[in-house]
Amino acid sequence: MPRSFQPSILTTQSLLDGDVLWWTGRAWSREIARAQVIEDAEEAARLEALASGPAHAAETVGAYLVEVSVADGAPYPTVRREQIRAEESPTFAYRPEPLSEAA
Amino acid sequence: MYRYDEFDADLVRERVDEFRDQVRRRIDGALTEAEFKPLRLMNGLYLQLHAYMLRVAIPYGTLNSRQMRQLAMIAERWDRGYGHFTTRQNIQLNWPKLRDVPDILDALAEVEMHAIQTSGNCIRNVTSDPFAGLATDEIEDPRTTAELIRQWSTMHPEFTFLGRKFKIAVTGASHDRAAVRVHDIGIEIVRNEAGDVGYRMLVGGGLGRTPMIGKVLREFLPRQDLLPYLEAALRIYNLYGRRDNKYKARIKILVHELGIDTFREEVEAEFASLDRAIIAEDPAERARIAAYFAPPDFAELPDESKMLDAALAQDPDFATWVDQNTFPHRVPGYLAATISLKPIGGAPGDATAEQMHAMADIAEALSFDELRITHEQNVVLPHIRKDALYQVWRRLVAAGLDAPNRGLVTDIIACPGLDYCSLATARSIPVAQDIAQRFASVERQRQIGPLAIKISGCINACGHHHVGHIGILGLDKAGAESYQITLGGDPTNTAALGERTGPGFGYDQVPDVIERLVDTYIGAREEGETFLQTYRRVGMAPFKEAIYAEAA
Repeated sequence: MPRSFQPSILTTQSLLDGDVLWWTGRAWSREIARAQVIEDAEEAARLEALASGPAHAAETVGAYLVEVSVADGAPYPTVRREQIRAEESPTFAYRPEPLSEAA
Repeated sequence: MYRYDEFDADLVRERVDEFRDQVRRRIDGALTEAEFKPLRLMNGLYLQLHAYMLRVAIPYGTLNSRQMRQLAMIAERWDRGYGHFTTRQNIQLNWPKLRDVPDILDALAEVEMHAIQTSGNCIRNVTSDPFAGLATDEIEDPRTTAELIRQWSTMHPEFTFLGRKFKIAVTGASHDRAAVRVHDIGIEIVRNEAGDVGYRMLVGGGLGRTPMIGKVLREFLPRQDLLPYLEAALRIYNLYGRRDNKYKARIKILVHELGIDTFREEVEAEFASLDRAIIAEDPAERARIAAYFAPPDFAELPDESKMLDAALAQDPDFATWVDQNTFPHRVPGYLAATISLKPIGGAPGDATAEQMHAMADIAEALSFDELRITHEQNVVLPHIRKDALYQVWRRLVAAGLDAPNRGLVTDIIACPGLDYCSLATARSIPVAQDIAQRFASVERQRQIGPLAIKISGCINACGHHHVGHIGILGLDKAGAESYQITLGGDPTNTAALGERTGPGFGYDQVPDVIERLVDTYIGAREEGETFLQTYRRVGMAPFKEAIYAEAA
């Protein structure tokens, strides 16, 4: 039996710096909390095609859907890979003493 | 060290200019991502989980202080102040911005470096023995051969779009420290019965999803035939290798499917039909290259150093480091030393810009201006006077580069894994960190003895897990990380692929599992036996029992 559609959000990366971005329904955001949760398979497919298409190609690099669970209205990815992307950095202190911006 | 000639310098500059224009056109919208992606990959630029990643080639792992300082400068100016040294003797920058990459490549070109052929289905950076030119068991410095291959393979028009990537390693020593048996082509510099120096050619080794040990293609290849023979082997691969399935496209699959004898017949027939003279090296060019790798101006010294002996006697931490991290040098009065990039709790292979500066300064002052990157993700200072070793060590201590663990249980190879890599299925670095914390005691590590743990965060095996004495492969199991363990792998002359213990373990279980494996070894070992020797003697059963007993 095919698996039923799971609530999902749409993600991409910015062309200029590779930053992880989430679709809010109106624009791309770096904050996953602002992501639009899509509940419907057809709508998800439509948005994914749109986001992967030429309208977004100047600023982003492809787009795909990420399954999420929703708690208190905030989406959180169900798979480890996307959870790590959502954190915007490695899961360990990769650079214990970051250089200051002025450096 | 090899220096670019005019041709090399022009070629790299032109390539940077070309890429600058390609980046501009992508940002302007003239190029789509589908058009741009293969172009950026040909210049070593990947898009990873959080950011772009630039992979910079370090030919055969050799670099000088000026180049190391430039890497540090680039890391500080355009990245986040650190770099990651890889199992292919390269360095990766994890956070460059697209717009900055052409400037980074320009800065690399200033010091005769580049990112060409660090990605894509071409001949990649040729790797070699980190102790080249100093090891006592060496027939000849392999870097002259590696450099010849680099020049031959750079933008080779016939081999720029192979079925899949192609990795070549060269060793000039009787002990294989370059893992030549797990490369697409492995080259051993050997002497035949007549005393001539030539090559033993291996083919079809590799790790990844279908690991294989290389097979002998030719027992002895005369030196002048090297490039025509490589051309013949690559041509047969290019003609007959599969292109319908990327997972079956490496040369190892072709060699396996045809059988080594048939593959050899094809290569020999192609080799015989080639106009070898136009492909073969010019002896004058070999001599020109070899001159760059001539030994530095070593002093005539007694092998014994009173200064070293005195320091060893007074400083036990230094003595431990010397015992663990130095390597014999063929010239009396000198040693090579491994700078471990595996401090307890650190990310294996990572060095901060400050540490790169420190390593460059030490190399310039005290190691004839040379550094080597090892496939074990460490750095070698190749030529240190024994008299100066204590000074070197104190400077390493000051830079946090003094981990005395080379070859021990905490000297773990780990790929970037799911913390960085878009291909990864599980994390590698934090697993390595947890294991290292568990075995943090230097005394305990030394009691355990030589033990190579290698961790890959996916089946592509960048962390060489198949050839770890203990290999760890991180996989995705329904969205969660799961780790398979292999035992008995070996990348050296006695090469072997590790054998899977059984079902995988959860992320949090891995350190306990490793500890039980180590305890099993300690319990079973005979006097002087290493982990690998014990495993080979007693087999899988006791280890398997130790790690699965509770679950049963």
